Amino acid sequence: MAHEFSLKDLIKIDENIYEIPKSFRSDMRVPARIFMNAQMFADIKGDRSLEQLVNVATLPGIQKYAFAMPDMHQGYGFPIGGVAATAINQGGVISPGGIGYDINCGVRLLAVNMSADELAPYLSELATRIFHKVPSGVGKGGKLDFKAGALDKILRDGAQHMLKLGYGNEGDLEFCEERGRLDNADPSMVSEQAKKRGADQLGTLGSGNHFLEIQKVDEIFDENVARVFGLEKNQVTVMIHCGSRGLGHQTCTDYVRTMMHKVNQWGYVLPDRELVCAPFTSKEGQEYFAAMSAAANFAWANRHMIGHWVREAFHEVVGQSIQVRTVYDVSHNIGKLETHMIDDKLVDVVMHRKGATRAFGPGRPELPALYRNVGQPVLIPGTMGTSSYVLVGTQEGMDASFGSSCHGAGRKMSRTQAKHTVHGAQLRKELEQAGIMIRSNSDPGLAEEAPVAYKDIDTVVSVVDGAKLARKVARVLPLAVIKGD
Amino acid sequence: MVKDFESLSHTADIKIRVYGDTLEELFRHALIGMFQTVGPQAPDCVVRDGRLVCMQLPQHHSVEVESLDYESLLVDFLSHALYLSDVHNEAYLDVVIEQLTPTFIKASLHGVKITGFEVVEIKAVTYHDLEIKQINGAWQAIIVFDI
Repeated sequence: MAHEFSLKDLIKIDENIYEIPKSFRSDMRVPARIFMNAQMFADIKGDRSLEQLVNVATLPGIQKYAFAMPDMHQGYGFPIGGVAATAINQGGVISPGGIGYDINCGVRLLAVNMSADELAPYLSELATRIFHKVPSGVGKGGKLDFKAGALDKILRDGAQHMLKLGYGNEGDLEFCEERGRLDNADPSMVSEQAKKRGADQLGTLGSGNHFLEIQKVDEIFDENVARVFGLEKNQVTVMIHCGSRGLGHQTCTDYVRTMMHKVNQWGYVLPDRELVCAPFTSKEGQEYFAAMSAAANFAWANRHMIGHWVREAFHEVVGQSIQVRTVYDVSHNIGKLETHMIDDKLVDVVMHRKGATRAFGPGRPELPALYRNVGQPVLIPGTMGTSSYVLVGTQEGMDASFGSSCHGAGRKMSRTQAKHTVHGAQLRKELEQAGIMIRSNSDPGLAEEAPVAYKDIDTVVSVVDGAKLARKVARVLPLAVIKGD
Repeated sequence: MVKDFESLSHTADIKIRVYGDTLEELFRHALIGMFQTVGPQAPDCVVRDGRLVCMQLPQHHSVEVESLDYESLLVDFLSHALYLSDVHNEAYLDVVIEQLTPTFIKASLHGVKITGFEVVEIKAVTYHDLEIKQINGAWQAIIVFDI
């Protein structure tokens, strides 16, 4: 029987940080830390996310804490919003379920050199053009279809290969995490099945909570950092949220299966089979890491391609002189090799972020030169019809959460419940009355993603800001939402 | 109609409970449940009581899957059907199971070409909360799908 958590199980560290001590369950290797405030507890106590976080704290090699971000909710294996660092030289594991099936699901933000008022006369046509240019639904292949050899190049070189093929520009790479390519990628570690699923899905959004939004900057909280990111009030932005499509899903499925067959040999006792993992240095661990990196490259190529089509749409509908610049591209489902200061020593870790965004502070060499003095942009999409945020990474966050932040608002209501509460057609009307254009073929799909099904994004971001994991820079509001079915 | 599957509440993903008098029926209902839950759309079929009903299921695939135990076998079997669905743009609404042991299944999937799913696409079949159990002689399984 699952433990029913109450606030009494948690130690309050400060207003925005709570801890489940190691003594809570005998198999925990480290305590668990949750970034939330007391009011938010109501949203998570009813689901299994805290139990899942305690399970994460049992992973071999885990360092400091199992972390959960304020948008946390129940996932499978890890909670969504979960962060875990495992030390490579201390038997640290890599867990596909700790990265997720949608490998390198993430967010790209584009900034356009025009104001929302200037865009207004073109908005409807632009939204329709993007809706047609970017295949968004289920079961719809993309406009590109790569044969095996060409696909391998994308898996190896990610967004960098797309630039070679003539799509996008150098700035799209410069302002992308890892410049759109993880160099551990090995296409030969990705199964033929995964490649078949990916062959015609490059440049597609997919369904569920994936979306593309045309937005405007509604408020600036930090003028200096906003200037560095090239954002100003009323400016038009575009946010793209999607991942590695079937190729990534199949890659995770394949390696969960591989590890499931070996896990007993490694002697791991797992509280949940979905946490299945391999020692990072084992053959299986290395092969998964190489395949996961290749799938991550596919996702970057995907968002790069979609960004290119958005730019094309602006040129066609508004004018060739319009500049559409990538502000940044962040991953929020990924495993990375990172080095962090732990107990005054530099430790090499496998950083699992599942539904969590890297939020590196100033000075990190991984950041593009232009942003290195201020920290990286942290992109937090809200829900349809509500605001999204741009934050900046902090030094405090490096120490508090290995440089990690939340990834969205986080669900609080099940999809079934959302559909019973919200009528899709009605929601469409309400959003349109509020001045937000909707391009989506599916009303049930809309209903499932209704704002009421999510936590309040403003509260989630205020906890991130209050705990200093990242600092608010700007808030953006949707003008048009383009969704998968 | 005998209950074959039902949706359960999950914050973010899809969770179903599947019923079967035999393990073969449990596997069959799990496959039907996986596809019917996300509303496949096919032009020549009709939707009745929230389910896609087709006069014919012309798309066939023979599948053979090996695994560790009944739980893993169920995950791997459904994952394989999901893979075929994604690659061929098909949904499988029935299956004929020829052989089922704790570590092996041989079956033929029967389905239709689809234009998409009304609700959402399933990304993967997970092991989370997975259990197959026998209650009063009949079988039940709980499965969580990542979407």
